[in-house]
Amino acid sequence: MKVRVGGLAVAALVVAVVVVGSAGARANACGTVTLNEQAWAGSTANTYVVKNVLEKSLGCKVNITKVAEVPVYQAMADGKTDAILEDWGHAPQWAQYVTKQKTVVRAGPNGVKGVIGWYIPTYLMKQHPEFKTWKGLKGEESLFKSPESGSQGMFLGGDPSYQQKDQTLIKALKLNLKFVSVGAEPAQVARWTQLYKQKKPVLFYWYDPQYLNATYQVSQIQLPARFKGCLDDEKVGGPPAKFACAYPSYTLLKFMSKKFATSASPAVGVVQRFSWSNADQNAVAKMIAGDHMNPDQAAQKWIAANKAKVNKWLGK
Amino acid sequence: MVAVAETASLGHEIDRSAEPLIRARNVWKVFGRNADKIVGTPEAQLSRSELRAKHDCVAAVRDVSFEVWPREVFVVMGLSGSGKSTLVRTLIRLIEPTAGEIEIAGQDVTSASPTELRQLRRHTSSMVFQHFGLLAHRRVIDNVAFGLEIQGVSKSERLARAEEVLKLVGLEEVGNSFPDQLSGGMQQRVGLARAFAVEPKVMLYDEPFSALDPLIRRDMQDEVIRLQHETGKTMVFITHDLPEALRLGDRIAIMRDGAIVQLGTPEDLVGSPADEYVENFVRDIPRSHVLTLRWIMRDPRPGEEDGPRLDVRTTVRKAVSLIAGSERPVCAVEDDRVVGVCDKEAVLTAIAGESD
Amino acid sequence: MAAVDAARLPVAAPSPWWRSRNALVLAVVAGMLLAFFGWRNELLWPASLTWNALSHHLDDFQTWLSNNRNVAHPSVFFRAFNGLADFLDNLVGWLTSLFFKLTWIGTTALGVLVVLRFGGRKAALGTLAAFAAFAAMGLWEPSMRTFALTFAAVALSLAIGLPLGVLAGRSDRFQRAITPLLDAMQIIPAFAYLMPVVILFSVGRGAAVVTTMIYAIPPAIRITALGIRGVPTNTVEAATAFGATRWQTLLKVQLPLARRLLLLSVNQTILFALSMVVIAGLIGGQGLGDVVTSGIYSDPALALIAGGAIVVMAIALDRATEAMAIRTDPTHRHLTESKKRRLRIFTAACAVAIGLAAGLGNAFGAGSSWMRWSAQPWLRRQVQAALDYVQNPDTFVFHITNPVGNFIVKYGLVPLQSFFTEVPWPAMVFGLALIAFLLSGLRPALVTVAMLALVGLVNEWPQGMDTLSQVLVGTLLTMLVGIPLGVWAAESRRAERMMRPVLDVLQTLPQLVYIIPFIYLMPVSLVPGVIAAVLYAAPVVIRLVAAGVREVSPHAVEAAGAFGATRAQVLLKVKIPLARDAIMLGVNQGLIMVLSVVVIAGLVGSGALGYDVAQGLNRGLFGQGVLASLAILALGIALDRVTQGRSRKRLGEMA
Repeated sequence: MKVRVGGLAVAALVVAVVVVGSAGARANACGTVTLNEQAWAGSTANTYVVKNVLEKSLGCKVNITKVAEVPVYQAMADGKTDAILEDWGHAPQWAQYVTKQKTVVRAGPNGVKGVIGWYIPTYLMKQHPEFKTWKGLKGEESLFKSPESGSQGMFLGGDPSYQQKDQTLIKALKLNLKFVSVGAEPAQVARWTQLYKQKKPVLFYWYDPQYLNATYQVSQIQLPARFKGCLDDEKVGGPPAKFACAYPSYTLLKFMSKKFATSASPAVGVVQRFSWSNADQNAVAKMIAGDHMNPDQAAQKWIAANKAKVNKWLGK
Repeated sequence: MVAVAETASLGHEIDRSAEPLIRARNVWKVFGRNADKIVGTPEAQLSRSELRAKHDCVAAVRDVSFEVWPREVFVVMGLSGSGKSTLVRTLIRLIEPTAGEIEIAGQDVTSASPTELRQLRRHTSSMVFQHFGLLAHRRVIDNVAFGLEIQGVSKSERLARAEEVLKLVGLEEVGNSFPDQLSGGMQQRVGLARAFAVEPKVMLYDEPFSALDPLIRRDMQDEVIRLQHETGKTMVFITHDLPEALRLGDRIAIMRDGAIVQLGTPEDLVGSPADEYVENFVRDIPRSHVLTLRWIMRDPRPGEEDGPRLDVRTTVRKAVSLIAGSERPVCAVEDDRVVGVCDKEAVLTAIAGESD
Repeated sequence: MAAVDAARLPVAAPSPWWRSRNALVLAVVAGMLLAFFGWRNELLWPASLTWNALSHHLDDFQTWLSNNRNVAHPSVFFRAFNGLADFLDNLVGWLTSLFFKLTWIGTTALGVLVVLRFGGRKAALGTLAAFAAFAAMGLWEPSMRTFALTFAAVALSLAIGLPLGVLAGRSDRFQRAITPLLDAMQIIPAFAYLMPVVILFSVGRGAAVVTTMIYAIPPAIRITALGIRGVPTNTVEAATAFGATRWQTLLKVQLPLARRLLLLSVNQTILFALSMVVIAGLIGGQGLGDVVTSGIYSDPALALIAGGAIVVMAIALDRATEAMAIRTDPTHRHLTESKKRRLRIFTAACAVAIGLAAGLGNAFGAGSSWMRWSAQPWLRRQVQAALDYVQNPDTFVFHITNPVGNFIVKYGLVPLQSFFTEVPWPAMVFGLALIAFLLSGLRPALVTVAMLALVGLVNEWPQGMDTLSQVLVGTLLTMLVGIPLGVWAAESRRAERMMRPVLDVLQTLPQLVYIIPFIYLMPVSLVPGVIAAVLYAAPVVIRLVAAGVREVSPHAVEAAGAFGATRAQVLLKVKIPLARDAIMLGVNQGLIMVLSVVVIAGLVGSGALGYDVAQGLNRGLFGQGVLASLAILALGIALDRVTQGRSRKRLGEMA
């Protein structure tokens, strides 16, 4: 007669769990909501602000997923994520998931206008006012030389996961620049901020809203005006000439999973009504990434100072 | 009437009129992909290197046949590579023979089904290994009971039986120890106990003492001799050590390159080696220790039949003192009949022949 | 009498230097250089030899998969995968909620007491320290999530790997069959199969578990097989000779006696699984991996701290499982009946204690995670200060590292990169094949040609050559660092003891984490990737070389000493030449490790194939991701055969 010790241990655990189990239940009118947060600080900002509004005002339990820009559509289709609050335009995914499968639905714009383009430090713009437009770069590309670019000037490319067309654009505009990718955004930021601190010339892919824009002065270079049939996604392919135009201005959109959208949760309305400005997003992003504040704290700080806007989202 | 002095041999009678307990007929083992195509063809007669070069095969056992009677200790002797270890393994199909027939206790081993084979291994045969083959994670008594455990004997029963067998080999003190706490000699005795515990009809020994110190080896040989006397088991014993073979074996088969070169009693080998190879082997053996009176006796002349008597199986060495001290030639007796006489001259000739 | 004319023994004339193998390789390289200067950029991989449409076909396949997955009534095929993903997700979820329900007190008690019972006091203290570290870092919850995920992945990997390993241990044929599959599973970078996994299992913990399992199952199988084969032959024979059935032999003999290696396979499976934590974070694995990947962007200090937590978990689990393996070994333990009884009581006591701790924790509202005081703000400040220092271009360190980095890139990496990408492709293929032939023989040369053709076929020729140039540089540097350090470790016990913790950390710290300082110190695109590769691959090389040199026959060493050789002479003339096989294995393994860093390196500027794979994953470019991964695999196979082929060839010469 051997006492099975393993069984004893399990029994003890089961007892503990049962004793404890009842303590977990909590009544929720709202239930659980899953929001997706992208890697950049702006996304953290809007996600955590909505999270705190939902938690504090509606008593929801909010989970955060961190899925990349494109796979998140699959996550929404599977019901793993309920909503994303910042999408920069993924036409192929819209066609596939929103139009064809109807597993994801639009939830309106989030109020932020996205701008992508070519940027240089403002101090450089002051020294070379001709750089206001891209034509001014011609002949002066060697100013941007780097160890990787040899005799050509260096164009610092963006994070590989971002939409970009600069390689083709450089070719189309016939500029003597070499496209150099230093990798993901932190690496790119490291590079151009260091050159900025040394007051050296640097030409790079950049965008707004971006929290660093509050700390560093950068100016955009004007690219050729947009025309009908302009292409922006290098990976889709096409003749170079069609890429020779500026990036479009992006109305950043929100998306929800069909499952969430058709549920009776009060959170759906809040997500749909959520909207704020570039300045709002940059401010919160700066608190999180620049001042290293805890995202929940940063969100609560902003919410406390902007009750009117929040009430609008709550439909009050 | 002169007392019959102690006999030389191991002192047990082997009834060769009974059925043999083990029968091996034309056993072959060829390693390699084309093994079955070699046997039975002239290719089988090629030398080792030729066979390897031409067919990429190795003939480890070539056309071996022998019989073992109940209570007999049958020794297979040879150098490394002679095929002896392979041969003993084919007897219970630890290695599958390529051709030939093997019968143990009347049961056909070569064509036995897996279940029948397993039953044979559990109840009819047992084996002792060169490197002991003990289970390091179990106590000595559990190791001894292992064979019974495989048979499905209940725990209390098999532990009780294991205790008995431990007493038999003199290890009753260390039943609760673990193998790594014992010396090599003691570990092998555990191996012996394990083999005896299942009460087999046939016991196979694969060079059991080769891994032990020379000093221990002699003790272990004594042990095996004693156990065989007490239990009367039939044994097939593999060794590369000729003195060991001569000490233990009722009959010895010398193997070379897979084939049996000579099969006979120790006196047969020492007294009339079949060829140069065997001759070389036995060259250093003191003949007087092995040869019996049968080898040195001559026909009695009239009047010599009432001298001192000795059993014909007495070794020369043991007979020397009597022959030396006797005026008359000593009579060699078999079944109470005088079959020959031995005089001092014969002894001297035998001993003189030793220093060649 | 005339002296015997023994002096006329024939002496082989030394072959001329220009016939030696090294000289021939140099000649080939010279030829390729000529081609480069003569026809630079003129003959890039022709479009006619590329299967351009393949990428589109793959993208279409992904679209088809996605469309068919998300319909109201998916087919059995997808239901099966969905079901499996849900099952895995629920499993991890259940474990996680268990840890939370036990409260942090209960969970700590569980961990520490289990280790105490089976591993002893020292190991239990280590476990307690680890828990304390998670609390101090303010990363309790992510740590528990990661542990739950790892536990689930490891349990399943072992459930699959151990039986297969036993099968491979007993059957030569099976082992031969699965070895190439296992090789592939370990060479293919995880990024490459992330896309198919996400497609089939969706994003979340289920996909994270699957990804981890793909990487963790091979060591489970391999080491188990090794253990089974290592059981002494006589012992297995004895079981068969006594009439044991196959099951009886397995259960009573082989498994108990293979125990040490079986537990080593558990240990290695855990470590391999943990090394996947960060990648798992990318596809919804949550936990510490999440903190690292998102922290890279917005909070590098926290990412570094989370990386430290991963290292702490790895080391704690490693030491704990090792202690438990040693302590519970029946061969050395010699349990008597009274000892067994005492242990049973002890186990019961531990179980009760755990239950009590959990109960008390809940009664006092301890909370599922350690939420109170943590040292995280302080840690953050320290780490941030270090990062700020590193980021500041005015510092003394920067003034050294920056020019050095620039120099390396401008005069070393970039010209090499140009050479590889701009040399006419026939010269490159032919030249590399010829070098492979000279180094290793005909078959590796043919494999090289086939693999290079594959790279071109999938339209990744320039990227492939770019990556190849970086891999070669990375491997060269790894050897330059690894071989001397390995020799040193072999010669000096003190050096080895000093190096061990450093090597442990380098092998478990997520690569993304130690790349960060280099991004700032050497802000040029190619260097951080190369350095990350060296830091990751060198520990393996050091360990292999050290083991090889240490195992050189002591007789040979003794003989050299008897002839009056100095220590250096013994080293150079005896030990290193005799350890050549181990060193070549080091080259081979170092190469594979460097290659595995390629994708991470792509995230920090190495571009090329790594960039294409990362982009493929992030932007849903399935075709690009898969093809770039195939190119990485092709390079891996070619390099593996060429560096392995050499030692095999020598064995053939000796046979």
